Amino acid sequence: MIRPRWRKVFHDLFDNKARTLLVVFSIAVGVFSIGVISGAYKIIQSDMSVSYAANHPGNIELRLADFNADTLASIRNSAGIADAEGRRVVNFRVRTAANDKWVTLDIVALDDFAQNRVNLLAPVEGASIADKNQILLEKDVLENIKAQVGDPLSIELADGTVKTLLIVGIVQDASTGAGDFLAPSTAYIHMSSMPTLRQPQLYNRALVLVSEGQDDLEHIRIVGADLKSKLEKNGFPVFRTRFSETHKHPLADTVNAVLGILMALGILIVFLSSSLIANTLNALLNQHMRHIGVIKLVGGDNRQVLAMYLVLILAFSVLALAVAVPLGGGGAYGLATFLAGKLGFGLLGYRIVPSALLIQFLVGILVPLLAGLIPVIGGSRVTVLTALSGDSAREGDTRSTGDPASMTRWERVQTQAVIFLARRGIHIPRPFVISLRNTFRRRGRLALTLFTLTMGGAIFIGVFNVRVTLDDYIDSIGQYFRADVTLDFDQPYYIDEVKQFALQVPGVSTVEGWQFAGAELLDEQGAVIDNLNILAPPADSELIKPIISAGRFIKLGDERKLAISEAILNYYPNIQPGDLLPMNINGRVEHWEVVGLFKFVGRDGILAYMPLDYSAQISNMINRSFSFRIVTNPHDRATQDLMAEKLDRYFRDAGFKVRSSQSGLASLDSAAESLDTLVTFLLIMAILTAVVGSMGLAGTMGMNVLERTREIGITRAIGADDRAVMRTVIAEGLVIGMISFALAIVISVPITYLLSWIISVAVFESPLATHFTWQGYLIWLALLLVLSTVASILPARNAARLTIREVLAYE
Amino acid sequence: MTLLSTSTTAASAVFFCLTMQPIIELQNIVKTYSTPAGDFAALRGINLRVYKGELLGIIGKSGAGKSTLLNMINGVDRATSGEILVRLNAATEERVGQFEESQLSLWRGRTMGVVYQSFQLLPMLTLVENIVLPMDLCGLYDARTSRERAIELLRLVELEDQAQKLPSQISGGQQQRAAIARALANDPPILVADEPTGSLDSVTADTIFELFEHLVSDQSKTIVMVTHDSSLAPRFSRSLTLADGELVSDSENAHSGGLRRVASAQKKVATKPARPKRGTKRGAK
Repeated sequence: MIRPRWRKVFHDLFDNKARTLLVVFSIAVGVFSIGVISGAYKIIQSDMSVSYAANHPGNIELRLADFNADTLASIRNSAGIADAEGRRVVNFRVRTAANDKWVTLDIVALDDFAQNRVNLLAPVEGASIADKNQILLEKDVLENIKAQVGDPLSIELADGTVKTLLIVGIVQDASTGAGDFLAPSTAYIHMSSMPTLRQPQLYNRALVLVSEGQDDLEHIRIVGADLKSKLEKNGFPVFRTRFSETHKHPLADTVNAVLGILMALGILIVFLSSSLIANTLNALLNQHMRHIGVIKLVGGDNRQVLAMYLVLILAFSVLALAVAVPLGGGGAYGLATFLAGKLGFGLLGYRIVPSALLIQFLVGILVPLLAGLIPVIGGSRVTVLTALSGDSAREGDTRSTGDPASMTRWERVQTQAVIFLARRGIHIPRPFVISLRNTFRRRGRLALTLFTLTMGGAIFIGVFNVRVTLDDYIDSIGQYFRADVTLDFDQPYYIDEVKQFALQVPGVSTVEGWQFAGAELLDEQGAVIDNLNILAPPADSELIKPIISAGRFIKLGDERKLAISEAILNYYPNIQPGDLLPMNINGRVEHWEVVGLFKFVGRDGILAYMPLDYSAQISNMINRSFSFRIVTNPHDRATQDLMAEKLDRYFRDAGFKVRSSQSGLASLDSAAESLDTLVTFLLIMAILTAVVGSMGLAGTMGMNVLERTREIGITRAIGADDRAVMRTVIAEGLVIGMISFALAIVISVPITYLLSWIISVAVFESPLATHFTWQGYLIWLALLLVLSTVASILPARNAARLTIREVLAYE
Repeated sequence: MTLLSTSTTAASAVFFCLTMQPIIELQNIVKTYSTPAGDFAALRGINLRVYKGELLGIIGKSGAGKSTLLNMINGVDRATSGEILVRLNAATEERVGQFEESQLSLWRGRTMGVVYQSFQLLPMLTLVENIVLPMDLCGLYDARTSRERAIELLRLVELEDQAQKLPSQISGGQQQRAAIARALANDPPILVADEPTGSLDSVTADTIFELFEHLVSDQSKTIVMVTHDSSLAPRFSRSLTLADGELVSDSENAHSGGLRRVASAQKKVATKPARPKRGTKRGAK
């Protein structure tokens, strides 16, 4: 036979199923959130670097003028270089029979798929080697075009001829373009297919592995700088360099930061759920007061009672762990898979993460124990007399008579308010006054419920605000790309000529010719730090509205001056307008004056602007340009796409060598998409906190009604019908809901600032201007009204269902 | 200020002290409650001696202080002043006030069975489990013995065939018998009962009373019972009347079956100290 005290514990576990579910679910939510996040964190941390490294990413990527195998060999033989591969990367427009639209792709030509040693391709479907006139698509391409293995792929050449290659396989390239949200998708062909595309069989890109210090960015930079100067001395200008560590995915920091935020929210959920656990256990102890009295009466001491209730809490924990641990493990892998898919790296397969498991067990066992310790110790120390007389059940209601002197201040305020209003002819319905009074009867419980519900609401609202902040930011980035269509040519054309042609197309209202200069940012010692992309719009351009944070934007007559994005602060934290910045431009080291800083985020290099006139002067392209920005009317995405297509055809027909014609918003899509992913996760966490909050409310209402069963019976005995009973209870729930809403409005402000600061710094490396939206407030208000009503209806219905006899006999 | 001392002849008192010590002795017990309306004295200097084998009735109206007095004896409540001594044998004398709350529980579990008007059985445990519970908590018996003892006690209260039922499945009288069986679980020498028949009809109450009488005569238990029902007075071996926190009368029912059995059970005691049938009324209304 089980000892009677453990029989009682076992019975208590299943006696009140709603209460057990509430406690178990409260614990489980916390364990689940922590499990998902810590598990995903661990999986991603190891797999992201392992899988990235497994693809042998090049440490140095050089984009340079066409070069041959001899030059490649000399790169291989340079100091500090372990290996190097040459590629030819050319941008083409492609489509399949299933697509009307042309899509731009970087087509990468390899010498030998079998001998591929850098930026490896992982097979996804079909072949992983392309022979002559065959092509492999990177799997991201499938997001933009409908294509299957076996389909022919039409490729448009510069002169308008269309060639066809056969799609033989889908591969994944985790290294090329990793970390660049705006990089075009890629496809792979054998070098022997290049003549088909009327391209020379020469390389224009080198992928280099350093022989040592593959995870030392500083070392990689030094080796890269040496290699670059050596190549340039030999007459091969290097346009662009990229450095990356072997074991560090370029987005590792961002992903870690995002997971860090999710972890912070997870911890908050645990914290909130623990207050829920404390509340429920407090109520349970109150309901068990008589039992505790009996146990102590017949010989049980404090420690025995304490042990019984600690075991009960442990049992709750075990039940919660049984639910939450497997779910958390699955969720962790799901989250990791999702993020891996988004960021283009593979996972090493499902597994149990021991440290995440340990964290789950610790959270699942320690948090309820800690949360329950105070109520349980209090309960176990209660004297037999108190326990049996039920005195302790009157917390916050200690007066023994209706003596006005013993009324609480709050009650006095309420009474006076009611009297005050009644004198002026405003009669508050008596049941509502009762509801209001009931709300404040158990102040400890009310405080915990309000805390949970308020934090849940504040985070919920905060996430919406953060979303708007991010959206606004993307919109503001759009201010840098205000053109509806960007038309790029393979050769420079006279700006006036293009303008003349373009304005003949119906719907085109403005045309601007822009130039571009690639440069490299240097540190004080003259080593390359990062790429500098200098755009050169006309100084009075209508198509850019920068958000200036210091100094001014470019103006006509600026020479060797630039406005630069705040990303420069990562390298020159103290830079101010007027300072000189060292850079490598057109093969020369020059010092340009910074005239202003503006807010902008890009992943691949730093953005800067100079006036078109000065750019034309230094590039020797007066009045000519490769790139044109066109404004159409109207500006919606559909019109943009249509106009891009139309302009493309129009200029080709007129004999222009069009490289690409892109609608303005298209380039923002992928950036917005990756932010959406982040917001979705935040929202999931917000919903979880809201769930915890509403469970807290439901639990509190349930406990309040249960403890007041006798009172409800009396109310009914003196004439209240079911509806009146339900109204009183629901009104109480709504009062709690509305108080928490008012508090959430206030608390959401600092939470919004904190969340948006953390996220913008993590993702964009600079804080964004925080924006607020009514959306979150309204949705939360609506949710709260529904939640409060639902949370009260269930206990209210139970209360209303009891007969007077049952209620008055209730113990 | 005791009835006992004023109503006992010096000679018999000396004789009594030499021959026998009271199992429970209350010395000038005062209990005052603080209320917003001022202090309220529930017990005003109670002196009382209870002897082994007595079936002592304390009779009083509602609010007289009966339950408070009983809660002093069983240690559920603490006296504001005064001393309560319990002497289970000649060698030990325990002061109830000296125990801490936890020690008190264990002490009570082993020394004193408590029976309440509202039975106070744990609703989720079967009768046999309810009875094993005190043995489980006090650790005097191993699991097997506990169960055997519980069944034996249920047999004593004629509930053996109801052993596996929950309290809610049996009648009030049966619940009270089960509560008495539980009070006997650790074989305590003393039983205190607070209105044990208060919730029962007269026939059922009678069976409970018979059970008490049986426990005194056959098992040498000492029973202190409080009741508001003065008609029960003749059935006690001795009954006291409590009014407004003071003992106002003491009557020994030499004729009662209870006392006869006490006398036979305690062969050492040749005579009991003579006490007047009625004490002087003090403050009684």
